Amino acid sequence: MMVVIYSEDPEIIKVGTSYFPNEHTIGITTKEVKYTDELYVIDKIDEEFISNFIASLKPDVVIVGNSKRDKTVAGYVAGLLKVPIIPEVIDIEGNKAKRVVYSGMGIAEIEFSYPAVVIIERKEVQVNEKNTKINKVEVKEERVKLVEEKSKGEQGVNLSTAEIIVSVGRGIGSKDNVKYAEELANALGAALGGSRPVTAELGWLPEDRQIGLSGNKVKPKLYIALGISGQPQHLAGIKDAKIIVAVNKDKNAPIVENADYTIVGDAIEFCKVMTEKVKNK
Amino acid sequence: MNIVALFKIVPDDTLIKISGNSIDLNVPYKISTYDKNAIEEAIRIKEKYGGKAYGITAGIVDRKTIREALAMGLDEVISIDMKEMDVMTTAEAIVEEVNQIKPDLIVAGESTTDSSGSVLPSYLAAMLNYPIITYAKSIAIEGDKVRVEKNLSTLSEIVETQMPVVISVVGEINTPRIPTVKQILESSKKPVKSLSFNKTPNVKVISVSPYVIQRKKIIIEGKMDEAVDKLLSYLRGDGIL
Repeated sequence: MMVVIYSEDPEIIKVGTSYFPNEHTIGITTKEVKYTDELYVIDKIDEEFISNFIASLKPDVVIVGNSKRDKTVAGYVAGLLKVPIIPEVIDIEGNKAKRVVYSGMGIAEIEFSYPAVVIIERKEVQVNEKNTKINKVEVKEERVKLVEEKSKGEQGVNLSTAEIIVSVGRGIGSKDNVKYAEELANALGAALGGSRPVTAELGWLPEDRQIGLSGNKVKPKLYIALGISGQPQHLAGIKDAKIIVAVNKDKNAPIVENADYTIVGDAIEFCKVMTEKVKNK
Repeated sequence: MNIVALFKIVPDDTLIKISGNSIDLNVPYKISTYDKNAIEEAIRIKEKYGGKAYGITAGIVDRKTIREALAMGLDEVISIDMKEMDVMTTAEAIVEEVNQIKPDLIVAGESTTDSSGSVLPSYLAAMLNYPIITYAKSIAIEGDKVRVEKNLSTLSEIVETQMPVVISVVGEINTPRIPTVKQILESSKKPVKSLSFNKTPNVKVISVSPYVIQRKKIIIEGKMDEAVDKLLSYLRGDGIL
């Protein structure tokens, strides 16, 4: 079987090979990494060009990462090859896979046959380096032309890759109080996010900081939920966090059942004390 | 100009509940969140540039939900009944209808709330040999060209292409309108083309169970100063800090 693994994130090449240790693997990414038998290093991303390139290799399996751009390529290449595509896969074994459904509330076990395109997530894996044959590919722009690129700067926090996230809910009290959470986030080197009420309804934080079912699904090693009660829709977005800390006045809030540690108390007081202690360590 | 808005009818995700080992999907249907933005954008483009705005929906074909899409302002809906579906079979079912309409623009939501794969728009674009633009937060049309601002995670991009094109939109592109009573009444007179598409998908769902991760559930009470110290020592013990 020929396995082609593509992602703008080189880590995905590693995760992809771990699922197919005994097959011939071809990686396509932006950096030289030595986990596959062959590797194509690309100098930029044009979704249509890369899809055509992958299709021209006539693969039996295409493994793609789950960034926004990766998913666009995944769909396009599956459409070019006219093969099934399976998104949000968290595990593959032979022709069975587990994938996330209902925006993180459910796990579906599925059966499929190859050829197929499979979208996977980052996870910790051990893979030995190989004697990889490396090629460079000059990516050309196809029908969609890039006119301008604008960095979001400070605003453009990538919550999906953040290692620590401080997140605020309605319980923080007011828009002004968000600054205490921000100070804590700065002290921890964390990204700042918020629940749906805080982002989409009250506008205390920009909408693209929303964490949960209809916003960002996150997987930090530490997630600190400040004054978030824990609606299922929020919990669905933080399932993959390694450790969840909740700070809430209400010991019976649903977040408590879904947290590793809960401090029963005021979120602002917590921010002040925690910021001080983290700074002085 | 002919515009197609793709939308999916899904169990209302805000009402789905997990109880024990089961996930309760027996909840009212709705138009998937971002697909409403796709419908709204198709209607706005039609209002600005003229033409006809079609809706295509595949899967669950709930009549009441389809009427809501028509009441928002779509001229016609093509409803494809599919009992079993995956991305590939859905794209196959839709492509046949699209080929009859020959639209200049196909607008879809960035993802649906049930399967949330975000890949149908690009799958369909490849089958049609149209260019694909995903995660649009604004769309401007000039002649046969579209200019789109894309919302990526850490940056935004402005891109251009020639129509016909498939575009997926994010929630911030617009605020979907709420139909008036008059529009709801009038929607019953608008045409709905009903058909079914039956092909067994290659991807088969064997089971769906709640996604639950067991947590430590340690409660720390007492003075904040001491509570934070305790928390910090737990986090150090876990190798987090």
